[in-house]
This record gives sequence, C-alpha cells and structure tokens, in this order.
Amino acid sequence: MDINTFIAQFLSGLSTAMLLFLISSGLTLIFGVVNVLNFAHGSFYLLGTYFAYQLMQLFDNFWVGLLVGAVGAGIVGMVIEFLFLRRIYGRAQEGAFQLLMTFAFILILDDVVKFIWGTEYKTIPKPASLAGSLNIGTVTVPVYNIFIIIVGLLVVLFAWYVLTKTDTGKMVRASSLDRIMLGLLGTNVPMIMTVVFGVATAMGGLAGVLAAPLRTVTPGAGVEFIIDSMIVVVIGGFGNFWGALLGALIIGEVLAFGILWMPELATVLTFVVMIIVLIVKPEGLLAKKAVGRK
Amino acid sequence: MKHRLISLLIIAAILIPFTIVQAAETIKIGALYTMTGRGGQYGKDSEVAIKIALDEVNAKGLPGGAKLDVIITDDKNPQYAVSVAKRYITDEKCKFLFGIISTAIGLAVTEVSKEHKVIFVGTDHAGTDLTANKFQKYYFRSSNNTFQSMMAGAYYLKDEVKNWKKIAYIGPDYAYGRDQWMELKWGLDKLGVKYQVVGEYWPKLYEPDYTSYITAIIKAAPDILVNGMWGGDTVAFIKQAKPYGLFSKMKYFHVDAGGNYEALAGLGADMPAGIIMSARHHNNWPETPANKTYVEKFYKAAGRYPSYAAEGAYVGVHMVAEAIRKVGNANDTEALVKAMEGMKIPCPEDPQGFTSYIDPKTHQIVQIQAIGTTVKNDKFPPAKYMLGNFKVYPADKLWPSFEYIDYMTKVKGK
Repeated sequence: MDINTFIAQFLSGLSTAMLLFLISSGLTLIFGVVNVLNFAHGSFYLLGTYFAYQLMQLFDNFWVGLLVGAVGAGIVGMVIEFLFLRRIYGRAQEGAFQLLMTFAFILILDDVVKFIWGTEYKTIPKPASLAGSLNIGTVTVPVYNIFIIIVGLLVVLFAWYVLTKTDTGKMVRASSLDRIMLGLLGTNVPMIMTVVFGVATAMGGLAGVLAAPLRTVTPGAGVEFIIDSMIVVVIGGFGNFWGALLGALIIGEVLAFGILWMPELATVLTFVVMIIVLIVKPEGLLAKKAVGRK
Repeated sequence: MKHRLISLLIIAAILIPFTIVQAAETIKIGALYTMTGRGGQYGKDSEVAIKIALDEVNAKGLPGGAKLDVIITDDKNPQYAVSVAKRYITDEKCKFLFGIISTAIGLAVTEVSKEHKVIFVGTDHAGTDLTANKFQKYYFRSSNNTFQSMMAGAYYLKDEVKNWKKIAYIGPDYAYGRDQWMELKWGLDKLGVKYQVVGEYWPKLYEPDYTSYITAIIKAAPDILVNGMWGGDTVAFIKQAKPYGLFSKMKYFHVDAGGNYEALAGLGADMPAGIIMSARHHNNWPETPANKTYVEKFYKAAGRYPSYAAEGAYVGVHMVAEAIRKVGNANDTEALVKAMEGMKIPCPEDPQGFTSYIDPKTHQIVQIQAIGTTVKNDKFPPAKYMLGNFKVYPADKLWPSFEYIDYMTKVKGK
C-alpha cells in the first residue's frame, strides 16, 4: 500500500472515529456517572439536528444552529432526567426500567420530530468557509472532515481539563465511583447527575449538528448508529470516557482499512473486534475492573 | 286511518333511501406501509396518493354503488405485517392486501395472500423475486421491479457511455442492493458488453458514514461507479463523496432509486450536475397532462411534491377499481385475477402514446423506463436539480425476461 492511500484511508477513518467518539462519549458518560444505559442517546443527536435546522431557517447561520442544537438537546436531556429517569433510580430491577423508559423515549422523540418537522428529508448546509477540500500530496481531504477531527480533539482536551483539573470534574469522577459516599459527604448528587445527563445529551446534540451536513436529516436517523456507539463503549469499557475515544479510534480505523482490504467483510470486522475484546478483556480495554451496580 | 297511512308513507320515503345507501357495499383494501423511521416518508406519501385515488375512483363510481376504502397500518417487520394481513382478511373482511415498502415484508405477505387466496397489490417494494421466482397468482405489482430499472441501465451503459471498461458497485448489503448488481451484470452480459469489476462495496442499510468507502472507491479508480442505495443513504453518500471530487473522477450511475424526488430535495444545491440517475416516477417527466395533474393534486393535498412511492399506491388503487368494474363485484377473486391479467392501466409516468399494462404471466406492471442526468431545475422546490436529458427505453424490451427469471430461480431458488 502506498503512503498516499494509507494517509487517505487513515484520515477518513479518523473523521469517522471522531463523530463516533462525540456520540459515544455522551453515552458512556451517562453510564459511568448516572449508571443509566441510555438507549435514547441517538434521539438527542436527532433533536440537536432538528433544533439546528429550525434555527437555521430563521437565521441562516450554521454556528448559531450548532450552539442551539447542542444546548437544546442538553436542556431536553436534563428535563427528561429530572422528571422521568430520576424516578426509577434505585428501584428493584432498575435495569429493566431503564431499558423500557429510554426505549420509550426513542419512539416518543422520533414521533415528536415527525409531528413537528414532517417526514421529508431536511438539509443543513456546511458553512461556506468549510465547504472546500485540501490536497495533501495527491490525497484530497474535505475541509469539513478536518474540522470534525479538530472539534473531536478539542472536546477531548476540554474533557481532560474539566475531568482532571477542576473540582467539578473531581466530583463527577467521584460520583461515578461511589455516589452514596459522595452524598454522605454533603454533595448534591442528584444535581450532578442531572447536569451530567444534560452535558452528555448536549454532546449528542453537538454530534448531530456536526454530522448533519454530511448525513441525512430525517426521523429515525438517531437510532441508526446506536449499535456502533454501543460497540465503541463495549470496546473502550462501559462508563470510561477515554475508553470511548480509544474504542472510536479502533472502530473508525478497522472499518477504514477493512473496506480497503476486504470490503465484503468490512462491517463484520467491527463485531469481530468487539468479540475479541469481550473474550480477552470483557470489562473493556480501559476499564480497571468489571463495572457493576453502584 | 288516512293520516296513519300518510305518516307511514312519509316514514317509508325517508327510510328507503337510507336502506339503499346502507346496502351499498364498502369494499375494504387492507394496506401496510412503513410509517415511521427512514421509510416513513414513503408510507406518508402513499397515504396521500391513496386518498387522491380513492376520491377519483369513488367519484367515478363502482358497480352497485359500492365504495372503495383503504385501511392503513404501519408494517413494522415481516412477522407483524403477516399478523396484520391475516387480521385484515379474517376480521376486517378486506378483499385486497395492498402496499408495502420493503421487499422482505412483501415476500412474507405474499405467502399470506397465497394461503388465503386474497389478491395482494404490491405498490412499492421492488425485489424482482415477487414477480419472478416467488411468483404466485394472487400477487400483482403496480410499480416496476429492479430488473426493469437495471436492464434499462444496461442499455444506457452500452449505448450512451463511451470508452469505459472498469466498473465498481456500492449498494446496501441486503437483497435489494445485491439483486440490482446481479441484474445489471446479467444485462450487460446479455448485451455483450465487456467490462472489468474493480470493486464491490457492501455498507449496511442506513450506514451514516461512507467516508472510508469513498476513499477506497477513489483508490480502485473505476470508470463507472454504480450505486444501489435509496432515500437517505443516497443523500448521505452524495454529500460525503462530493468534496472528495468523486463525481469528476468517474461516471456516477444510479438508476433504480438515485433520482427519487426525496433524494433530489434532500440534497438541494449539494446535488452534482451531470450524474446519471433514474427513479420509478419523475415529477417533471413525462410532461403530459396526466402527470402534471397528478403532481399538482398531490402538492395541493400535501403541500409538498411526491416521492416516487406515491405513484405506485395511486396506480394500485386504480388497478383494483378497474378490476372490480370489469368483474362487477369484489367477491369473485378468480375472476378479479383474470381481469387484472393483461389489464391496461394508465399511469402518470406513461409518456404520450403508451399505456402501462400488467404482464399476464408474471403479474408485473410493464412500464417504459427513462434514465436522465441531473440538471439545474428549481421548479420543484426544495430540489435545486432535477433529471433531464432523458433516454427512454421501451417497456417490452425490459420485461418479461423469462431467461432472467430462469437464471434467478437457479441462483436464488423458488
């Protein structure tokens, strides 16, 4: 394989990985801190997209749409956590309730989107400044894909700073380790959970708006990558933020080079990787031990 | 006494017309459509077209003053669709099964139709199987199958595209995607076209990210890239491929569903010019009064232009009504089957001088196929590009092909 092909395929894998990371990181954050496996995470991606679409009808500005899409999805996330999910924490068979409730929200939010915006495909154009392509040697790379990679890296840096260098981050990490102890120490744990849920769903919304110029804005789009996101989270380790980054990078690159070398099996390869990880390190690559109920 | 007699006469005069009206039969059609998710738009558009067709049919009248009515249910999955189809027949007393977007669900429901001897009019699913190796006599289809599209495509590649040899394919990894590729290659072989396959790519249906496929296709450097996607997958692929310059590096060829209006609308100004596409119905072709009226009626009813799926539903209702008119009732299924075999059925997509018809041996509607290239046209907003420069392929050159049916039966079984 020549170097140009390698670069082209590596960068395409990286751009896929960054979008996967932006979605999966929210999913894993919610699991790690709130202990909820949020099957409806894709619905917040969808909501972010439609909020952005609506704002762009009024202001025709991608950046306003990006902001409103992320914040709007986060607010809806907090409302849902506060009004509904909070009621099932600590119940007997909480897992089954989580599954039922978050799955119900997939259907409800999808129908809400369909009711408000209809079933026809919507378009969110790229900002003009990000519409072109760059040529690196003989390799063509769309500027927008580079932008997504940069946003992904900025989110990684920001998350690293917040989680490791601030008191808020320390409390979030503490609540993922032992929320009962944290509560006994006087911290308002329910509020942390609501805020974390909001931040995570806002990341889903952000991913939705970022992906929209490259994808189809349509009801149902939110459920399409939930399986890929789950694979990422399983590989990286449930609840592990950095695991989501590693998992996304592995899946993005395995898919990119799999398509090049064995296109017939490319989509199966991601599942093969997941199965290998589950056999070798069932708790996920970056998890220290199997995550149980807190 | 006289007063009582007059009163009775008045009451009778009031009640008799009601009795007559109540005696007029309502003939029920049990329809199944995808109403949620990605395919939901096809279901919603079919619903609008069905209402338009019902108004036309009932205004024209049916034998005995009967009225046609359609019940629609979300088909969800094959198992659920089968249970609804059975309920339609046993509880709702539907005389016809109708609709269905997905070939997988169509294949499941055709078994119900066969078992219960109830006519099933497929209006959208395009898997060739249903009118080929999986044919059963109670099944009819009011829109073209993928073989008709791909055979027309083979003619186009032979006659209209010069100096090409290397070809690659990308399509969703399920029967619809696999069949199109098999059919195109069979058509090219049949026409004696020499070609070299340099890549086959099988993303999953609804794959959101094609970036790595696009760079791999560019590396394979085909002269022609054939795409077998539909709907939102087409939109995503084209949006992602355009900045890589894919459309200037090779000819792009997408003739079963690439030119669907919903994809043209979804892409807007992102649609590249000059790429080769087609669809099972075009809002801007043919420019006949029938097509214009149909598109205008749909727009008036829905506030948007129709996707291709709506036309199949519209034609299907008219097919059912015409069969009932020929037979005189909806109870004699065997007579209805005979009436539909060979029936000429005017469709919005028929160009001047041609009327679509049902092939009596396979029950497949036989239609002209028109393949075009994308040109700037903002008369059907939000689309900014529509198809133009159409090449038209005669219906009887495309279907039936018993040679292909034999081949398909050999490959896929009965």
